Amino acid sequence: MTLEANTAVLTPVAEGLSYAFRAMGSPCEVRVETEDAALATQIGEIVEAEALRIERKFSRYRPDSALSRINSSSGTPLYVDAETTALLNYAAQCFDLSRGLFDVTSGVLRRVWHFDGSDQVPSREQVADLLPLIGWDKICWRAPEIVLPKGMEIDLGGVGKEYAVDSALIRAMAVSNVPILINFGGDLRVSGPRAGGQRWRIALESVDRSGYAEGSLHVSSGALTTSGDARRFLFKDGVRYSHILNPRTGWPIEHPPRSITVAAPTCMEAGVMSTLAMLHGKKAERFLKSEGLQAWCIRSRAARRPLSTRA
Amino acid sequence: MQLKKRHMGPISRALSLLTANLLMANAAEAQVGAAINASGSARNYADGAVNGTDSSNDTSGQLNTVVVDSAVLFYQEKGGRVQAVEPTGSVVYTNSYGDAYSVKVTSDSLTGATPNGATPSSHPQTFTTPARGAGSTVTVTSASGGSTLVNLPGGLQVRQYTIAPNTLPVDNGFRDNRYALDLGYTRQLDSVSKWSIGGAYSQERDYTSFSVNTGYSRDVNHKNTTLSLSANFEYDRSRPFFGSPTPFAVMDGTQKGPNQTKTVISVVAGVTQVMNRRWLAQLNISAGQNSGYQNDPYRIISVVDPTFGAPLQYLYESRPRSRFRESIYWGNKVALGPTVADVSARAYHDSWGITSFTGEISERVPLVAGFYIEPSARYYHQSAANFFQYYLVSGTPLPSFASSDSRLSKFSATTFGVKAGLKILTDGELYVLGETYKQTGAAGPPNAIGDLANQNLFSGVKATSIVAGIRYTFR
Repeated sequence: MTLEANTAVLTPVAEGLSYAFRAMGSPCEVRVETEDAALATQIGEIVEAEALRIERKFSRYRPDSALSRINSSSGTPLYVDAETTALLNYAAQCFDLSRGLFDVTSGVLRRVWHFDGSDQVPSREQVADLLPLIGWDKICWRAPEIVLPKGMEIDLGGVGKEYAVDSALIRAMAVSNVPILINFGGDLRVSGPRAGGQRWRIALESVDRSGYAEGSLHVSSGALTTSGDARRFLFKDGVRYSHILNPRTGWPIEHPPRSITVAAPTCMEAGVMSTLAMLHGKKAERFLKSEGLQAWCIRSRAARRPLSTRA
Repeated sequence: MQLKKRHMGPISRALSLLTANLLMANAAEAQVGAAINASGSARNYADGAVNGTDSSNDTSGQLNTVVVDSAVLFYQEKGGRVQAVEPTGSVVYTNSYGDAYSVKVTSDSLTGATPNGATPSSHPQTFTTPARGAGSTVTVTSASGGSTLVNLPGGLQVRQYTIAPNTLPVDNGFRDNRYALDLGYTRQLDSVSKWSIGGAYSQERDYTSFSVNTGYSRDVNHKNTTLSLSANFEYDRSRPFFGSPTPFAVMDGTQKGPNQTKTVISVVAGVTQVMNRRWLAQLNISAGQNSGYQNDPYRIISVVDPTFGAPLQYLYESRPRSRFRESIYWGNKVALGPTVADVSARAYHDSWGITSFTGEISERVPLVAGFYIEPSARYYHQSAANFFQYYLVSGTPLPSFASSDSRLSKFSATTFGVKAGLKILTDGELYVLGETYKQTGAAGPPNAIGDLANQNLFSGVKATSIVAGIRYTFR
């Protein structure tokens, strides 16, 4: 389905009604288990408004966003509002927890890495030149004041969409008790089980043939997010370069799974953990196991078989 | 491949708490009623709940806020005993770095009757105590709270009151006002550690207390664990208008002793641990030393006839000058569905021979949006101090120490309460807390002498209290 920007579509689905719109560069959907179109529209509009609000505020592509104001501050101290403070604190704590692997300042690497399926791998010098601009610990952050050194950049892409799902769900649940599923470009969360205790059925997308379902998951609570390189990679001299970049080296992680789906109580947790698991490369499965998370890793064609698992 | 769910690892555990905090900050989350009131790290949970002075002085709150709380406590003991009205007001300012400044002002006014420590008797008993106007050259004779001022030869003035037969002797002249001021400062040293310092001053007509305290807390283990250490030093001065009576002096209205002082040193070490998303546990160990004058300067003990149990004379009580206290406290906060339960237990022992146990449970139940009730129940039991005596027997050797204060006897106490809170505007809360408290203990020793076997020597209290308050957060 192709959607025009700012056009929401309400369609009947198996579970009830689906409200679809576009935000944050992704197709977004709210499934509401009701036959009441007015209610589904009301909930859909609340969710859409929250998604657009967060996009406007935290998108690095919008020059007027709060984030762009920080990114263009070039060393000038700035005061940020409470919500930005909370998100930056969250990012800072994730940086500490992951010993620097989860780093919202690593986005500058995109200046030399273009994951378009081509063979344009940057030179060692190009990557090395960017390393001084990466590292949350180089930022002077004394909430709510931030001093972002010139040349550095913050990208909340790793948590923004997940935050939007969680925040939108909270707002939707405040107006109605009907079962809801919110899905922003594959990051999804449900309000709880469907009517009668039934679970939601989630299709797991294949890593190579878009549209082919790898299997399906059944969830009754919590969130699911998927990290993977289905469409974003480079291929040169027989080496596949994953788009998961190690912020410490500036180079792609070696031997990451093709895709990781993580289940957690909230989308933010699932998102951070699936990203962190990817950053563990070969040891992704071991990391997920040690963290006791319910997760599905797909590594190669051999592993492609239907999965049907309770989440 | 599919990975099975197991126990959460350190990162996912820390992350789940961080995420809960972040989404909690999201205003609407409050309406949905998230499970646990995780406000920052573990340290914001549970006070020391140990002996008043042992509780930590941590005043931290949400960043960039001023929290104003004012309340009135009404307290009433059954049988016309103590009544108190206590208005309090506090202000806590937390800046954007997490540093907090707090001020609390309390004023008490107490009236009513307190047991004087003597045993009841089948005959009327008259007690003679020093009079406040002692030394005055003007001759006054008047009734005051059931007492009479009497001028003795030589210009000496005393106060006398008489207690009816088979009635617990109480002194009706009890009346006092207390003013207290508490100041606190907590500094956020870095993202994981805090240091606090505070001081308190309180003043009654016959008693002054100063204290200073300091504490340090540190989050470790990805903020899943908070370690804390605090110390308190208190200096008290007792100055009854007639001076402090010499221990075991006969009460006759003429005592003149110097003012007396006491020092208290306490140390508390604690660990607060996030057990999982829905359970916080806290363990505190505390020790303290009281040194100096610990008698109640108004309290006496009857010396009775060895055969009939009739009172022969009244001596001022005598307590040891040293008291070493130690206790262990275990608290839990558990989110069960939409409710939050507090379950705690405390064991205490001191060098006076008192061993006590306290168990407490309360559960906060949200009823409708912005309204909750919180019923609570507490059970307390203690053994007697080794110098506790209901009375002294004439003709037997005087012990080193003796007190008939029923707070030093073996007794049990139960408290039942319910709190109701209502959110007003966005950042305010109105709350009311009602409690009933009842002490139960033995009516006397098993081998009570003569007439005393028929008397109830236990002077424990039954009380009810109501607190009504309003709390508002300015952002």
